[in-house]
Amino acid sequence: MDEINRDTRIVMTGMGMVTPLGIGKEQFSARLFRGDSGIREIAAFDTSRLASHLGAEVRDFEPLDFISAKNVRRMDRLSQLAVTSARLAVEDAQMVIGPDNRDRVGIILGTAYGPTDLKVCCTRILFEQGPARINPSLVPNSVLNAPAGHASLELGFRGVNTTVNHQATSGESALVYAAMELQRGTADVVLAGGADILSDFYFESLVRFRAVSPTDGGAEGVRPFDMNRNGPVAGEGCGMVCLERLEHALKRGAVPYCEVTGWGMSSAPSKPTGWPQDGQGVILAMKKALKMACLSPSDIGTIQAAGNGGTNPDAIEAEALQDVFGINSPGPIVSSVKGALGECFSSGGIRGAALALSIQEGKAPPTLGLVNPIAPLNFTTGRFKEANIRHGLLNAVSHGGTNVSIIMSRVE
Amino acid sequence: MQRERVVITGLGTVNALGKNTGDFARGLRNGICGIGPLTLFDTSPYRTHTGAEIKGLDPRRMVPPPFSRKRLSRADVMGIAAAVEALQDAGLFPFPESLTEDTGIILGVGSGGKLEAESVYRDYLESGGRRARFSRLANLCPATSADQITTALKIMGPKTTFMTACSSGATAVGFARDLIVQGDASIMITGGVEPLSRTTFATFNALQAVDPEYCKPFDLKRQGLSLGEAAAFLILESLTHALKRKARIYGEILGYGVTCDAHHMTAPDPEGSGAVRSIRAALQDADLLPTVVDYICAHGTATPANDAMEAKAIREVFEKDATRIPVSSIKSMTGHTLGASGALAAVASLIAIRDGFIPPTIHHEAPDPGCDLDFVSTGARPAVLNVVLANAFAFGGNNTSLLLGRYMEKGLRHG
Repeated sequence: MDEINRDTRIVMTGMGMVTPLGIGKEQFSARLFRGDSGIREIAAFDTSRLASHLGAEVRDFEPLDFISAKNVRRMDRLSQLAVTSARLAVEDAQMVIGPDNRDRVGIILGTAYGPTDLKVCCTRILFEQGPARINPSLVPNSVLNAPAGHASLELGFRGVNTTVNHQATSGESALVYAAMELQRGTADVVLAGGADILSDFYFESLVRFRAVSPTDGGAEGVRPFDMNRNGPVAGEGCGMVCLERLEHALKRGAVPYCEVTGWGMSSAPSKPTGWPQDGQGVILAMKKALKMACLSPSDIGTIQAAGNGGTNPDAIEAEALQDVFGINSPGPIVSSVKGALGECFSSGGIRGAALALSIQEGKAPPTLGLVNPIAPLNFTTGRFKEANIRHGLLNAVSHGGTNVSIIMSRVE
Repeated sequence: MQRERVVITGLGTVNALGKNTGDFARGLRNGICGIGPLTLFDTSPYRTHTGAEIKGLDPRRMVPPPFSRKRLSRADVMGIAAAVEALQDAGLFPFPESLTEDTGIILGVGSGGKLEAESVYRDYLESGGRRARFSRLANLCPATSADQITTALKIMGPKTTFMTACSSGATAVGFARDLIVQGDASIMITGGVEPLSRTTFATFNALQAVDPEYCKPFDLKRQGLSLGEAAAFLILESLTHALKRKARIYGEILGYGVTCDAHHMTAPDPEGSGAVRSIRAALQDADLLPTVVDYICAHGTATPANDAMEAKAIREVFEKDATRIPVSSIKSMTGHTLGASGALAAVASLIAIRDGFIPPTIHHEAPDPGCDLDFVSTGARPAVLNVVLANAFAFGGNNTSLLLGRYMEKGLRHG
């Protein structure tokens, strides 16, 4: 029997980015560290009736540049973003998928809200024109696991294939499940990450729920961990990373970005649309990840925080970071790329890639919008910070009380 | 070193056959059809009008404290009711405070609060965007079922939700098993939740995948599925932990496998390659040969394509044993409960192991030469079951197979 082996080393060998900061690793990395923002007035739909207007959209995306013409017309926007991202990750990892290895390659994709445009479209036709008018070709894409299914069809891999759907931890949970499948030995390579899109009714719901800036008045904009924050700015995009067993990567001559050395998942009591009262859940997830990686808090060089400018989540996470890392001065560099990318909910792949780049390049990206920090942590603000980073930590903190922490380390 | 064994110590379900496992077990044994005219919403504009609906879902009786009854979706009510039954069954309700950090939850889902969201959106459309109670969208996301449960029980272990259409529930059970094996928790609450909704009904009708009467799995005249709804929960526990607290053990999760067809978005690979690989992956995970399987709780949706494919896959994996192993589809009674169906099949399989009978495939009258297996079509059959295979296949080409076993002290592989 295959023993699940926690000693199996897992590395990241590729990343595919389709983000508001550009498509492809090079563009994403250059603009992220330069301090560009992907946030602008939303162009895809009219927001004039609403209290919020800003969004981080993926612009200038031409799906035909990445997806076969035969398949692309069968896909909705969410699937197009995800399939492009998966293809870019496979190419970046210099993988060739063929009959010899296709059963050992899989995908775990996180999506918090799925194809919101299409789901609303189906419902509108149902109520305005009746069920008989629903076009059967719309149906397959309205299911949340469609993007992962399309990726398997377009790229031809047949291994483990699962979609994770748990709010703002969807992408990070996908990374964890992918790593566990690699340890279980059911696959050699698993693409993992997350995707979400912006669409009109979905955005209006976020605004009506007061889930996006400006939640309590003030200027609209994202200010993670800032005294004057007033909510996140909604974003979209997809990031997929290629996770692989180290042994497999070395055998085919791949050069890994980093190693995934630990993770922790936790819950905390909270109303489903609310936030826990304290940082206990976040602390627990981070401590589990540190324990698994056999590291102490002082080993962590940088943290890619979940902070999205929300009043409660940023306070909870800052409290947890101070609790676990506060005794070390100056402590790890804390950064949140959501200042530039907005909150796309399933951002685990994008932010996981950002952390991998931080480790590789020895610098933590800026936290745009942060001027007056709510806690004495070693935050980046408008500019990146350089450091020798051996280990980095990725946090996901969701409403409803769900937390995931993942540790990535330099490959040694 | 042997990996930690994971056992099942509690079961709970609400579905069209009953609002607890006792009624569900009786329904399975007596071959009761839960499929009938739908009353949940007006079906007059649709092509078909039947489904397997849960009647009399009453939050006041089914959602006890410490659960909040505020703003619950139908899915949440179903999920909480089945979770409470499973926890009570395992002797874990009220939930002991000493176990909160060591307990997590993984659910497989489908629609979540879609039924309620449809009403909100209809109001929105009818009022030109002016009048719609957006607050009723609070429990739209299927993940809220797990959030409600962790919050009420104050549990702090790993939590996530899978949505892989019709294989969600089975994959959730598999991943929950892995988390216990890896030491991330001693107890995992797991299962699936799927409520009926208009859009689900409309989309399956648009695909012409729904039988206008009732589904007839593996029958020559089958013409589609019947939609159903269910919540099915299992309490998984490390064997060490279960023995220590002297819990009653239903059975063991022996293995699971997850694969993808990469063939077509809605049609299964007619060769059944993905299903063959998922069944073999489950057997390999359990380190067992196909010959040990005593019963197959089939995916058996009653669509022409699925049933032919599944029968073919079973023949390929089990070779000459294929005709010896009884195969049945509980969907002939419960309808296809989509995201919950894999977990519901697991609950049915464990009931079958415990009570010593094989649930029948009802409505199976005309044998299909393309599906030439023993479909248990003349009523439930007494049997001593040690190993049961439960299949769950889905849109997107997702396949999951679960292997469940009777609990034996020394384990099957040594016995």
